[in-house]
Amino acid sequence: MLRDITLGQYYPVDSPVHRLDPRAKILLAFLYIIGVFLVKDLFMYLPVLLYLAMATWLARLPFPMMAKSLKPMRILIVFTFILNLFFGTGSRELLRLGSIVIWEEGLLNALHFTFRLILLVTGSSILTLTTPPVTLTDGLERLASPLRVIRFPAHEMAMMMTIALRFIPTLTEEADKIMKAQTARGADFETGNLMARARAMIPLLVPLFISAFRRAGDLAMAMEARCYRGGEGRTRLHVLKFSRRDLIAFLSMAGLFIILLLPGILK
Amino acid sequence: MPIVLEKLSHVYKSGPHTSHALRDVDLTINDGELLALIGHTGSGKSTLAQHLNGLLQPTSGHVLLDGQDINGKDSSRRALRFRVGLVFQYPEHQLFEETVYKDIAFGPKNMGLKEEEIDARVREAMAIVGLDFSEISKRSPFELSGGQMRRAALAGVLAMKPQVLVLDEPTAGLDPRARDFLLEDVRRLNRAGTTVVLISHAMDDVAKLATRVAVLEKGALVMDGSPLEVFSRHERLGAMGLDVPQGFRLARLLREKGFPVSDRCLLEDLAGELADLIKGGSGHAA
Ligand SMILES: Nc1ncnc2c1ncn2[C@@H]1O[C@H](COP(=O)(O)OP(=O)(O)OP(=O)(O)O)[C@@H](O)[C@H]1O
Ligand SMILES: [Mg+2]
Repeated sequence: MLRDITLGQYYPVDSPVHRLDPRAKILLAFLYIIGVFLVKDLFMYLPVLLYLAMATWLARLPFPMMAKSLKPMRILIVFTFILNLFFGTGSRELLRLGSIVIWEEGLLNALHFTFRLILLVTGSSILTLTTPPVTLTDGLERLASPLRVIRFPAHEMAMMMTIALRFIPTLTEEADKIMKAQTARGADFETGNLMARARAMIPLLVPLFISAFRRAGDLAMAMEARCYRGGEGRTRLHVLKFSRRDLIAFLSMAGLFIILLLPGILK
Repeated sequence: MPIVLEKLSHVYKSGPHTSHALRDVDLTINDGELLALIGHTGSGKSTLAQHLNGLLQPTSGHVLLDGQDINGKDSSRRALRFRVGLVFQYPEHQLFEETVYKDIAFGPKNMGLKEEEIDARVREAMAIVGLDFSEISKRSPFELSGGQMRRAALAGVLAMKPQVLVLDEPTAGLDPRARDFLLEDVRRLNRAGTTVVLISHAMDDVAKLATRVAVLEKGALVMDGSPLEVFSRHERLGAMGLDVPQGFRLARLLREKGFPVSDRCLLEDLAGELADLIKGGSGHAA
């Protein structure tokens, strides 16, 4: 039931993309986003799309699953398309339906927005699909650690994120179990009006909170017992290291940027 | 109303992983029996239990109750859940109400019973599991001891008066006294006519209670018979990582040492036989 909620949606297979350094992957995702926004002509989305397809293939991610990552966004995508199509103004009229005018600029804008959204969502989902959440936060911590000079609590933030992410599957599992146990006692989570449904959540939420607090207490105790004192002077078990693979990935991104920037330079 | 499992298979899917939790299980649970379901960790016992009241739907195969497919379109799963009561592992983690009384009343209330009927059922269920009504019913379930919480949770299911009671490792984590109490409750319920399916890792409990034992290995049903039949295949059980009851082990050891005792599941029975043997033997020598 509740297992369909995948926040840490890591897809555990072994691939060159999975093995990239998380810092490299975060930076690459960042560059990719900039790349998508650099596109001025519609046909230039083609190289971006190809790059995305190549990354997906290299990461051994099933293409249907990538398409599925768009599903929660579909309303937003359709909505922005329609909004841009009908409410833009421009100089070249394309179509007139009574009082509604569709301008060429409106259509272009709508297409740009749609492509961008699709490419951004699928592109960034490659990052989360190929990187375990804990590794991801590790990478974020390392990337943010220079900010410590301005007193940004990089380690604390990362530890909080790690713990939160670590507990999502545990808690969904727990919620699933409690839900089943209450269903076995005739609880009904699916029918009734809003009030009835909100009330039906009590038998689920109370035990869930109790268990979450118990787990949090246990974890705090276990961390204390192992002398956790925050990030100061803490060494790492897995030291992140850039490798040739990361270099190749950056070079491929540079290649994409050259293709994207070339028309502008040649003009 | 016997429960019949026909070629029941269940596959869990999560991302690229699929795990075959049950493979083509054929099993009939007869009225009034106390069936023990044993198997190594991960053999699919809990998965099977959740099929018995429709919490999980089969990947393939059928679950029949009174000859009716419980997952068929004209069967009410909610009504089914009041007939087949399922007590999960660590059921005390599902307690949520302000008072023990309200928590036990949760099931009967969902059945849509009248206030007096609910009250009668709560009292009865508490009596069965040995919780004192006047002392405990007004207390918060979270103030109880572990064993009491377990019994309160069990009462919550019993108050629905299910015809079949499925217990998933009901004694896990209980001290010996609380365990004996609980097992005695189960035995009494069974004697009173409730069909019981008991999932357990404690072979002595199984030996004490079960009228029939079914063994799961990697999702397949590999043995099914009386406790004596199943436990006499102790080598096969050992290969699966399963124990035999202490009485059984002792009987084997005694026979190796030359005592002609028969296979017994219970230490008490074996002690009786041994006592007779010793008395008879010494009497003969005298
Ligand atoms: N919700 C789930 N999602 C995915 N796989 C699951 C799920 N529940 C169980 N499994 C898998 O199905 C198999 C059978 O699990 P099940 O819980 O039925 O075993 P069990 O016999 O009850 O074990 P135990 O004695 O440890 O309680 C295991 O391999 C387990 O990993
Ligand atoms: Mg289990």
